[in-house]
Amino acid sequence: MTDAPTITQAPVLALTWRGQNLFQLTILAPPGDWGDPGRLAKLRAWGQPPAGQPLLDRPFSVHRYRPGARELDFLIRVVGPGTQALAQLRPGQTLQITGPLGQGLRRLQPDFPQTPLYLVAGGVGLAPQANLLDQLQAPAHLFYGERRGQALIDHDYLAGLAPNFTAISEDGLGYGQKGQVTEPLLAALNQERRAIFACGPPGLLTALAPVARTYKVPYWASVEAFLACGLGVCLSCSRALTDGSRIRLCQDGPVVDGLTLDWGKP
Amino acid sequence: MIDSKPQTPDLTTRLGSLTLKNPLIAASGVFGYGLELAEFCPPAQLGAVICKGISLEPWPGNPGPRAVEAAGGLVNAIGLENMGVEAFLRQALPPLKATQAVVGANVIGHELADYARLARILADSPVDFLELNISCPNLAQGGLSFGSDPDLAARLTEAAVNPAGPKPVWVKLPPLVTDIALLAKKVANAGAAAISLINTVPALVINARTQRAVLGNLTGGLSGPPIKPLALRQTFLCAQAVKTPIVGMGGILRAEDVVEFILAGATATQIATAILVDPRSPLTILTDLRTWLTREKVVSLASLRGALKGANNP
Repeated sequence: MTDAPTITQAPVLALTWRGQNLFQLTILAPPGDWGDPGRLAKLRAWGQPPAGQPLLDRPFSVHRYRPGARELDFLIRVVGPGTQALAQLRPGQTLQITGPLGQGLRRLQPDFPQTPLYLVAGGVGLAPQANLLDQLQAPAHLFYGERRGQALIDHDYLAGLAPNFTAISEDGLGYGQKGQVTEPLLAALNQERRAIFACGPPGLLTALAPVARTYKVPYWASVEAFLACGLGVCLSCSRALTDGSRIRLCQDGPVVDGLTLDWGKP
Repeated sequence: MIDSKPQTPDLTTRLGSLTLKNPLIAASGVFGYGLELAEFCPPAQLGAVICKGISLEPWPGNPGPRAVEAAGGLVNAIGLENMGVEAFLRQALPPLKATQAVVGANVIGHELADYARLARILADSPVDFLELNISCPNLAQGGLSFGSDPDLAARLTEAAVNPAGPKPVWVKLPPLVTDIALLAKKVANAGAAAISLINTVPALVINARTQRAVLGNLTGGLSGPPIKPLALRQTFLCAQAVKTPIVGMGGILRAEDVVEFILAGATATQIATAILVDPRSPLTILTDLRTWLTREKVVSLASLRGALKGANNP
């Protein structure tokens, strides 16, 4: 299967709302290995600049991939003009997609489908968890947190993604528990140690590194960064490792070994 | 009816001792070390490619976030992260030169001696030309950039021109100086083979809610469409002031933008932010430029150089 990214126009197959300002965008998948959990694509559903704005494409991790049907899903929260434009798409329209970009969990853990996991999702960091869950043959529990309970994804949709999950929010509104996503994770780690795969805001990912060290479990993180090119040249997404070397999240990530990334150097 | 074949416009661009097949050059910082984007834009199809700024030793760059979109443009503070000249010459340059591309090395340093040493090292390398980034902070003067002082910029140019031997040395000017024409004259007299401009425009992006700067470096440099009018004006002033060829850049996204820089007096142009938007854009611009020139019955781009007809008061 080809691994080189392409820039193509892809037809939109469906757009389904899955929560407050949160939608699932389904497109016809261009060629590429989209099944490696965490891999990215840049999407553009607006014209070229200067008239077409925002200037840059917007990067998203793959939510789900159905290779048989060649269907590719993205889970997108409306936060600005780019995601607003994507939310206006209708079946039959096309968008520009650049990808697949980067490396997913498979490179770090080739037998991830057989690995018992704790999945940790902060906000729209839920997106790549589904791509992983769809391939998982080992036990998994998903810990999914939102700052506001109203922002939680639709309960039934989440239940369809993850057989075992704990939803939580800081205000306790909606269907979830009240608290921080790390609280039920720590309780579970005290019962049974498992490797952690996490995606979410920087504060959450940073906080999980000492947790993984304390419990001596592997920790893989899908790390978000502003991407300008997404193709390895601009170094907007360059990050330091603990040995002082540097990686580009768009090429060498976004999934990294959370115990070797230098979380103190953003 | 006479069936006359339309003449293909001549895009050959002479810049001193260099002959480029067209006036489109990939700018430093957006084309990596020349081959990363080759699948989308083969470097040999461009007039030239300029590699990421190269220092004597590797530089780690700035803390993140390193870039943000603002006002229809891009503000970046990458901090000139690079592999250092030794790795550049050993790893990056040989495969790039094997493509037959014309290659420029963008040179960065913290003191005059850094530029002189780099010029001496690159003089014996297969690079086709050097481009001095004079916007780096000068540590000997408390971090003030070399380009902020025309006499210092001239001394920096001299320091690099002699050790560079036969390699043409271009000097890349910052946009915000008191007298850009004076700066251009000083570096031209100091031996610059070409003057490229403009570098990014100093900028600050603030998040009102967090009351913090968005970038990890506090400030950055604005590029893209918002800076094009400034870049055209500075290009025009420099082209009026010196005979040295001008390489214009700043917000070029389309073929018409290239024509505008040529009209302002540039001999060639550099494409920067457009490559981050779409790595194929230089080839699109090249095709569109040929179409535009054919449609406008312009047989050579050189005939438009500096042909700006003045103000809009017919």
